[in-house]
Amino acid sequence: MSEAAERFAQFKLVLLGESAVGKSSIVHRFVKNTFDNMRESTIGAAFLTQSVHLAESNTTVKFEIWDTAGQERYKSLAPMYYRNANAALCVYDITSRSSFSKAQDWIKELKKQAPEGIVICLVGNKVDLKDEREVDEQEVAEYVEELNQEQSSAGAPAGKVILAECSAKSGDGVLETFNVIARALPVEDAVGGARNRQLRNKRSSGVDLSRGRQQQQSQAASSCC
Amino acid sequence: MKKPERRQSMAERRPSVSVIPHLAGLEKPQDHSLKLDHCDVLILGTGLSESILAAALSWQGVEVLHIDGQPYYGDHSSTLTVDQMKKWSSEVNQGKIKHFKDAQVYIPGGKSTNKFNSKDYGIDLSPKVMFAKSDLLSLLVQSRVYKYLEFQSLSSFHVFENDNFSKNISSTSTKGDIFTDQSLSLVTKRYLMKFLKFVLQDNNDESKLKIIKENANTSIEDFLSKTYKLDTPQINELIFSIGLCNKPNIKTPEALLKIKRFLVSFDVYGNFPVMVSKYGGPGEISQGFCRSAAVAGTTYKLDTSIIDFDPESKVAKFNDGSAVKVNEKIVISPTQIPKFLNTEYQDLISSKNLPVYNITRLISIVKRDCSEWLSEHESSAVVVFPPFSLPTENAEAVQVIIQSGNSGVCPVGQSIWYSHTTEQNVDKAKDDLQAAFEKMEASILRESSTADLEDVLDEKDFIMSAQGTPVLVNSFKLGKSLQNFVPKDKLEIVCKIGYVQETLIDPSLSNILNASESNNISLADCKDSQDIIFTNMPTSELSYDGVVSDCKLLYSRITGTDDDFFDVDFEDDDEDDEYSSKTGNQARGSVPTASGMNHNDNDNAIADSDDDEDHHEPFGADEMEL
Repeated sequence: MSEAAERFAQFKLVLLGESAVGKSSIVHRFVKNTFDNMRESTIGAAFLTQSVHLAESNTTVKFEIWDTAGQERYKSLAPMYYRNANAALCVYDITSRSSFSKAQDWIKELKKQAPEGIVICLVGNKVDLKDEREVDEQEVAEYVEELNQEQSSAGAPAGKVILAECSAKSGDGVLETFNVIARALPVEDAVGGARNRQLRNKRSSGVDLSRGRQQQQSQAASSCC
Repeated sequence: MKKPERRQSMAERRPSVSVIPHLAGLEKPQDHSLKLDHCDVLILGTGLSESILAAALSWQGVEVLHIDGQPYYGDHSSTLTVDQMKKWSSEVNQGKIKHFKDAQVYIPGGKSTNKFNSKDYGIDLSPKVMFAKSDLLSLLVQSRVYKYLEFQSLSSFHVFENDNFSKNISSTSTKGDIFTDQSLSLVTKRYLMKFLKFVLQDNNDESKLKIIKENANTSIEDFLSKTYKLDTPQINELIFSIGLCNKPNIKTPEALLKIKRFLVSFDVYGNFPVMVSKYGGPGEISQGFCRSAAVAGTTYKLDTSIIDFDPESKVAKFNDGSAVKVNEKIVISPTQIPKFLNTEYQDLISSKNLPVYNITRLISIVKRDCSEWLSEHESSAVVVFPPFSLPTENAEAVQVIIQSGNSGVCPVGQSIWYSHTTEQNVDKAKDDLQAAFEKMEASILRESSTADLEDVLDEKDFIMSAQGTPVLVNSFKLGKSLQNFVPKDKLEIVCKIGYVQETLIDPSLSNILNASESNNISLADCKDSQDIIFTNMPTSELSYDGVVSDCKLLYSRITGTDDDFFDVDFEDDDEDDEYSSKTGNQARGSVPTASGMNHNDNDNAIADSDDDEDHHEPFGADEMEL
């Protein structure tokens, strides 16, 4: 399977931001390295997964990526969405001022709903449309600075709002964004956790239904007489 | 009736649909009013059945608009925080939430003595446990909704008898020792064995069918004592703990199915028959199905209710100022019925003469982990008080689900006791639940109280064993003292919540499993408009049995058939591959998919009578030894 020294860690990442800022496109670029101009507003049945390898610590960080599936449109995201989220990718469109102010609302929402210590990455998408830029990089930087100060003065766990820009269309900055997030995550705490969920399950009498399903089928096959 | 042909499935429609993003250009995100002008089916209420329905419909390409009058998911089966529960209770008492009544919230102590964080709690309005072999579990796997959830095993079942709790199952149980009393006489063992073999026999077996037919109207109690010569302790265990029945006079065929579902659920995923979902039961599972529905294109808007519907133009108006044309049906949960349909709904109930059943609940959050009742590494258990086991002479069983902090519903070190009864006299029901609470309170105090025993026993009561550990000799003295145990300690309580829920579903689920236009409101035509369908409130069942059947009734009524209920091929979607590398997300053809699932599993676990041959018998009668 893997070399003895290589380590695994798995994290849940949730997407947030106004509709049509390109949340799903970023994920599709990251996971499948494709871009579809007229994408349907949904991806997959469950969630997508993709890993990045951090060479310096020889660690593979696997993201379990949850899309909003449109439930953000009328602010109808379920508590389940935020539960146990390790990272949030809060997306705005650099060509839309309103999408940036909505992103700020989502960050407020995250502070209310998400677990403490969640890594938030505020990412401006569509940098391929530089000429239409409405959101000033400097302004975003100042906002994030302020946010991080607010957090540390409130005595909360080290504020980690990360700043990034990318283009899902060209692919610029996408992988880099996920790499930065991976480095900001508490990898040390979660190491060994490619099977995090299973380990967690074991400790708390959790049941792995996907495993049971296979087992169930093979048993059914062998005992059908 | 006038239903057109089946719509193409989502997969078929995808290529053309994908050109125009859903609602593209119409929406200003996070809008306060709905920005869509039509839908095929409008569903009001995000309870479990309604959420499964939304997902099933939208995966077949039906455009669903799913709204809820409350700002949270789950409707009548939601999982709520303490603060939400307080608000809910006051709304129930103001008559704002229909089909619930007599809500009481008791929070002892002042803010300084009873400190807790409301958000640390997830309280189920309609708590349930899931059998390892059941239609809902199959559906969770088939729909992949299980991926959003975490499940934990439950293997401890306690029966309260003669003022004491006995435990008949634990995580270390093997097939042979599900019965408490291992010192059964040989004769009893033989009969017990014979009975279990009979239960596990193929339901189509002629000799079995004959016996079932002959005993169609015999109570299970009589059947067990006459045909199998069993004694009260075994009978009680079979009926109330294994069968989770409410009454001793339940008819034999129904009880046999209930006993069987327990036995065949054993060893499917491990040495336990039942599971619970972490962080909450039906409320959590509803959220999972709503997410699945959203992925398939359902539009969600909470905190929104309908204020008008014109049966002619089929336009629904909402309290956010928007209006939507409904192409096909409106599905309405009983808690979400708008004023203008109230009379219609009541008329429908009285014209069909549908009886209303009460379910009385008492939920207690206590500052104990209750590990005494839990199997090792587990965080949930079931406690049953059979009829006439309580000082109140309870005519119906009181069933209790216990969940400790590790199940994610409360802080570690505490637990939630969900008790309910189907006693129809509400005052009597409340007394029964309170009596059961007191028995549990006394039991947990004495089992966890070591200090008090020292007062009762002195050194002379112990001898030293060869290993140097003290052994109690005077067990009579101990037993007596426990019977008369007066706790010095008090059980600290975070809060107690009581309420009564009404449902039109018979506790035996007969009007779901054999539903007809005359016994189930979901199948009845509304006078005002054939496009309006009312759903049912949650049942009194401790398990999820009936939920999927109920949902299929609704689905069939809307689409004309349930043949394609969740018949979705998820092959293209991501399969969580534990060892996927950077490019490991492609090329996975061999993953077992929904199409490979056994469709017979979708038949209700209680209702099924013909699927035996398709399944292994985990609790194989032939290997069984007692």
